[in-house]
Amino acid sequence: MGIVLGNIIAIYRRELQSYFASPLAYVVASIFWLLSGFFFAAILLGPEGVIQQTTQLDLNGQRLGQPAVSIDVPYEFLRIFLGVLGSLALFVLPILSMGLYAEERKRGTLELLATSPVTNWAVAVGKLLGVLTFFITMVLPILAFEAIGFSYASPPVQPSVPLLGHLGLILLAAGVLSLGMFISSLTESTILAAILTFALVVFLWVIDVIAKNLTGPVAEALSYLSLLQHYNNFVRGIFDSSSLIIFVSYIVLGIFLTAQSIDALRFQRS
Amino acid sequence: MFYHCLCPNQPIGRKLMIEVEHLSKIYGSTSAIQDVTFSVEPGEILGFLGPNGAGKTTTMRILAGYLPATSGTARIAGFDVHEQSLAVRQRIGYLPETPPLYPEMTVEGFLYFVARLKGLPAGDRTRQINAAIERCHLQEKRRVLIRKLSKGFRQRVGIAQAIVHDPPAIILDEPTVGLDPRQIIEVRNLIKSLAGSHTIILSTHILPEASMTCNRVAIINRGEIIATNTPENLESGLEGSGYELEIDADASAAQQLQALPGVRQVESILAVSSQGSIPLKENRTCLRVTSEPGTELGRDIVSALVGMGVGVYEMRRTHATLEDVFLELTTEEKNWEQTGGGEEAVVEP
Repeated sequence: MGIVLGNIIAIYRRELQSYFASPLAYVVASIFWLLSGFFFAAILLGPEGVIQQTTQLDLNGQRLGQPAVSIDVPYEFLRIFLGVLGSLALFVLPILSMGLYAEERKRGTLELLATSPVTNWAVAVGKLLGVLTFFITMVLPILAFEAIGFSYASPPVQPSVPLLGHLGLILLAAGVLSLGMFISSLTESTILAAILTFALVVFLWVIDVIAKNLTGPVAEALSYLSLLQHYNNFVRGIFDSSSLIIFVSYIVLGIFLTAQSIDALRFQRS
Repeated sequence: MFYHCLCPNQPIGRKLMIEVEHLSKIYGSTSAIQDVTFSVEPGEILGFLGPNGAGKTTTMRILAGYLPATSGTARIAGFDVHEQSLAVRQRIGYLPETPPLYPEMTVEGFLYFVARLKGLPAGDRTRQINAAIERCHLQEKRRVLIRKLSKGFRQRVGIAQAIVHDPPAIILDEPTVGLDPRQIIEVRNLIKSLAGSHTIILSTHILPEASMTCNRVAIINRGEIIATNTPENLESGLEGSGYELEIDADASAAQQLQALPGVRQVESILAVSSQGSIPLKENRTCLRVTSEPGTELGRDIVSALVGMGVGVYEMRRTHATLEDVFLELTTEEKNWEQTGGGEEAVVEP
């Protein structure tokens, strides 16, 4: 058992190291931070932002002589901001996952992994953890400036609210990265892997839209399967165990499919 | 299932380190290798010789566990390559045709990664990595990024990753391709230094390399093994060895030489091979005397010539080189089989 864990850690470290050494990863992270910072400022402080809207409502209410409406500003802000972050992440994740296996095949290093005493699934788990850790480091600064913003809130914000929301973001990312890893294992071309993963993301988004606009058993089923719906649950602070199960199922599915596809690869290799 | 492979039972007393029996690999309608059988004793170096596309890489990949065979068995240290894949992978070092290097890692970092991957215990890692770096003369490049290394150094890192965990069996696919002559000599010496305590199988299409480095050579062409033997046996078994003479006589001397026992053929040639295109002087004839396999004619030729009163200017022995063996075997397979020299039997010298 220790050997397997040692293998996973070795692969995890190498993968993480390669992301920190990769110019592309830095470009992706920079763009992510730039856009998320912009949206943070716009949603919180901008003219259409939460604070302005709330102030407006308050003023309107005062003018009409109605009692003040109680609005949980941080909660509203988080709901909108995490929604945006989720969309941003969905754009960025395919670029992070595209090279996981495709690069290995291109460089010829898959032959090293396949002839070393490590199992396919251990390699997949190590790689997924590596890329997920990189994604988490992309999200941490955002948590930091949220913390700064919320420290001015009164009454003070319960930390569990943003933390739960970001946990949802990370689980969503893990699911998409896991499936993106599987797609990367199907091809030698990183660009093709990225495109196919984008297509997968669009497909997930479409399912979500259909689920929201229909009623009936089909819509319910789709809604249950939709990663985005479960993400929204987390964002709203609803910790539903079924959401957790769905996230974990997607992650495991991605790892399983990856291990299978690497096996199948050897049977076809010319 | 995986865990029992990592702590396997000892195999029943196997003497051979690598055993391949009737291995075949078929893709659709074409067969990459067919009915390949050979074995390698512990401590031996076996050379796998063949033209491009002969099936060397396919065989290496099957041995390393990267490809499954269509039929046949392969065993390393007694473990079946397909059934007990993890046990085999713990015991081999493998250098594929393109060295599996991560460009963004340093040499040292990469070797640490490989050491962990191969399950080397933490306490041994530093020592064995240092040993591998020293053996491959990589000391000055320890901290250099792999993408900045020249081809020769990359090849050496490739060899280092194959030996870092001190595996009993080492599989090298074209280890000297792309190296300059000095680097090739260094790599060959390195490989020879590993023999004895390691079993090595290497593939090459550079023929002198096979005869210089390997204890035995298996020649493969179009997916089939056509000969397995020591380089010396292969060379001496081939017709074409004999002597080239430059003498001051006419063609009648040739007929007398033809009559000597053990002479297969005497033919006129334009010049003794060592002289190249220097024009022949008057009254001099060049002959090539080809001997029957296994006969040594030097003394008899000299006695005959002296007895005839013929002056000898130059007498040169011609060896069939492994190159001649190779060319002959891969272009005239039928003849070789007919003379009974091409069996796949492993000849223990």
